Order: sequence, then C-alpha cells, then structure tokens
Amino acid sequence: MIEYYTLMHKGNCDEYTDNIFMNFGSTVTVLMIYNGENELPLSEEEKTRVSTYITGCRGIPFDEVSSKLTEYLPQGTAYMLIHINDTLINIERHGQIYASIVKRGEIKLLPNGPFSIEDDDRVVCGTAEFFNYLSQPAILSDGLTAESSEEWMDNLVCRISERNHLAEGNLTAVTLIVRKDENVRV
Amino acid sequence: MSDWALVSNEIRAMIAYALILFVVAVFVFSYFIYFYKTKVKNPKAEESNLMLDVAYFHERGKRARQEDSYYISPMDESRKYGLVVCVSDGMGGMRYGDLISQYITDSIKEMHPISFFACENNADAIRKISNMIFDEFKQKGGATLAMVQIQNDHLTFYSVGDSDIILIRNDEATILNPRQNYVALLIKSLVRSGKQTQIAYTNSKARALVDYMGNHNPRVIYTKKPMRLLDGDTVIVSSDGVTDAIPYKSIPKYDARTARGMASNLKLSVKQKKYPRQDNYTGVVIKLQRSIV
Repeated sequence: MIEYYTLMHKGNCDEYTDNIFMNFGSTVTVLMIYNGENELPLSEEEKTRVSTYITGCRGIPFDEVSSKLTEYLPQGTAYMLIHINDTLINIERHGQIYASIVKRGEIKLLPNGPFSIEDDDRVVCGTAEFFNYLSQPAILSDGLTAESSEEWMDNLVCRISERNHLAEGNLTAVTLIVRKDENVRV
Repeated sequence: MSDWALVSNEIRAMIAYALILFVVAVFVFSYFIYFYKTKVKNPKAEESNLMLDVAYFHERGKRARQEDSYYISPMDESRKYGLVVCVSDGMGGMRYGDLISQYITDSIKEMHPISFFACENNADAIRKISNMIFDEFKQKGGATLAMVQIQNDHLTFYSVGDSDIILIRNDEATILNPRQNYVALLIKSLVRSGKQTQIAYTNSKARALVDYMGNHNPRVIYTKKPMRLLDGDTVIVSSDGVTDAIPYKSIPKYDARTARGMASNLKLSVKQKKYPRQDNYTGVVIKLQRSIV
C-alpha cells in the first residue's frame, strides 16, 4: 500500500489556486496542478471535469489517463501525473513541478516515465514554490528520519517556515511512502 | 630474396591471425590478472573509501561551568567499526546538566563498537541511557544528544533535543536533524489551521525542548537507513552555542582545507563575537575526502 500526506497551504495569497486530485486503490493516482505566476487558475468547469475523471480513473492505464488529461487541461498548464503502487511509479511532468525519490540512502529527481520502487522507498512531489527553500540533503535526511509521510511533510514545512514563515505563495506537495502490508503502521 | 618470400599467402595470413590472436590473448590475460587482483582478491581497494579528517573545539562561554560533553571514537579503529562522534549539551539552569551530559557521552563510549546498521537497536540503547538518567536524576536536569556514525561513505545519525548535525555540501549548509523544540509543534499546529507562522517564533517558549535525554522514553530521531556521503562533504556535530553565535547558513564561510583549520576558524569566530551571554560551545568537524588507498 501507499501511505501519503498532502500539503495545501495558501501562504500570503488571497486564495489557494493550486490543485491536488487523488484516487486511492492498490495503485494511487495523484494529479497535482501548479498555478504559478504565469498561469491562469483552472475554471470551475475544468476543475469539475478533471476531478470527475480522476475520481473514476481506477484501473485505467497510465498512458490513457495521461492522454485524456491533455484534452481536459488547458495547454501550458503545469501539472504532474503520478501512478504509484508497491512496485512501480510512473510520472508525467509538465512545467515547474518536481518529484524526488529517497531510495537506499540517496535522493534522486524522478524523470518522466516508469521507475521501479520497493518497500520503504519515499517520494515527495511538489511545486517549484514548495521546493524553493529545500536543499536536497534536507529532503533526504527528513525522509530518512521520518516515521510517517505526515512527519516527513511536517519537518519539510518547518524548514520552509524558518526561511519565509510560510508567507509567500501557495504551497502544494504530497509525500508518499511505499509500505509492504506487514509494515503498515496503524 | 629472403625465406619469407617463399611462404605462401595463406600461410602468411595464418601467421598474421595467430599473432593477432596472441596479442588479444595476452591483453585478456593481463586484464584478468588486474581484475582478479583489484576486484576479486581485494575488493576494498576498489571502494577507496572517503578519508576522514577530524578536529574539535570544546570551550566554555560565559556560563559558570562547562555543560557540554563530547566523544570521538578511536580513529585507528574507524576503518573497522566506523567513526562515532557525539556532542551532548547539558540543559542550562538545571542542577545536573554537566553531570548528565558527561554521563551520556561516557555511556556512548561504553557502547563502542557500535553496529552501523542496527539503527533501531542503537536508538533503543540511547533511550535506555535516557531512562537511566531519569531514574538517577529524577528530571532535575537533562541534556541533548547529537550523534553521527560514519562508515564506508555512509552516515547514520541520532538526535534528541536541539543540538546540531550540519552537513556542508557544495558550499551550502544543511542542518540534518529536526529540532525537538516547541516552535516545531507551534508550526505544525499553525499549518493545520492554514495560517502563517511568524507568531511561532515570537513565543517566549519557542526554544524550549519538548524532548531531551533525562526524560523517560524520549523520542530518539534517527536515520532508518544510512545516508550516502560524497567526496568533499563536511559534517559538523555541535552544541547550539555554535549556531547561536554563527548562523548555520554562514558556516561554509569558515571552511578550510583541513578539519583542524575549520574547527579553529569556527572557534575563533565565536570567541571574537564576545557575546555577553555566550553559551558553552562545542563542535566536532569531520571532513571527508576521496583518497586512493
């Protein structure tokens, strides 16, 4: 199973305009949309359409979901689509959203495409605004010490807070931990 | 006319092929010998582990007594068991800070050699030390603990309280261990309410510890898996007397070619600030460099 924790913080903006849509099953689907300086936020109609599609996308192959999103999302939208299960993570990234994986004591940026994963691998996906004040060793050490995806996120947020008191733009991120069934924490 | 001219073209071609085969065979054989000697017979030579250069400073600030303690495991055994470094900072204003910090570093010393991969067991052992302090001192004092172990280019760390484990990589300093203080709890609570966090830092108790050695069953923060270190990394284990005087982001400015040089720069810098309430300051600098063994 995949343990996850999401952060959606509006910072000093009037509204929270990024988006996260998720679908949970043995494969978890995450769609993160970044509303940076140069993009217009999604309209309510677009949001509803994407949300409805992601809600019902269980079992649909990654490539199909990906091609459907190119129809549903306006051109130039910064987004990241993730399919993750116990053995594989598949990513498609457009624009200023990044994902890093903590694996065997090292941290690596995840490229587009499939990547094999194993028990206790940890993935953090977030917007450029989220990663702005986080160094790679900081993400790595917090990933290695955290007991849960929630604690990992809390520690990362503390680091961002030290630098900007969370008083800048929207912060959007999700932490994911691969847990084999026997390691699931209750 | 030489005898060579009498040899037929077919024979000449065969001799040429034989020579080529001979040269290839010699090359393959030589490579095999090299491979056997370097990778099969002596695999450690290939690893060419990072060399460790260690130096420390341990100074009393404006406090009545030195309440920091430190321990550095024997350098001559570091290849076999890894290097263990820890710093413990006795809680100021309490009666037994000096005794407790010394008790902690002495207990870590008694644990030598510490298994590098048994992180959970080591964390348990640290928790037991805290429980023994709890039984003996009845919460009339406490201390922090920041401990690193480095072996074969990898690092594990253990932390209770707010002493610092700092990694300098590519001229950028990062504090690796989350601090167990009240401000972290306030930030967590504010974020869940969707608020900004300025107010957390102005709280008078912001720096108060929420866990420490001497508490019963404290939370020991530790790396679940070893962290890869790179050539040119510097690790500093220090009490907060160092980072209160020198903001950690500016620590790379004090870098030097050797650990001794850097430790000396940091020590002099804190001393020169002449803060009237300077806390005791202790730091162990570990520089890692690739070296051909």
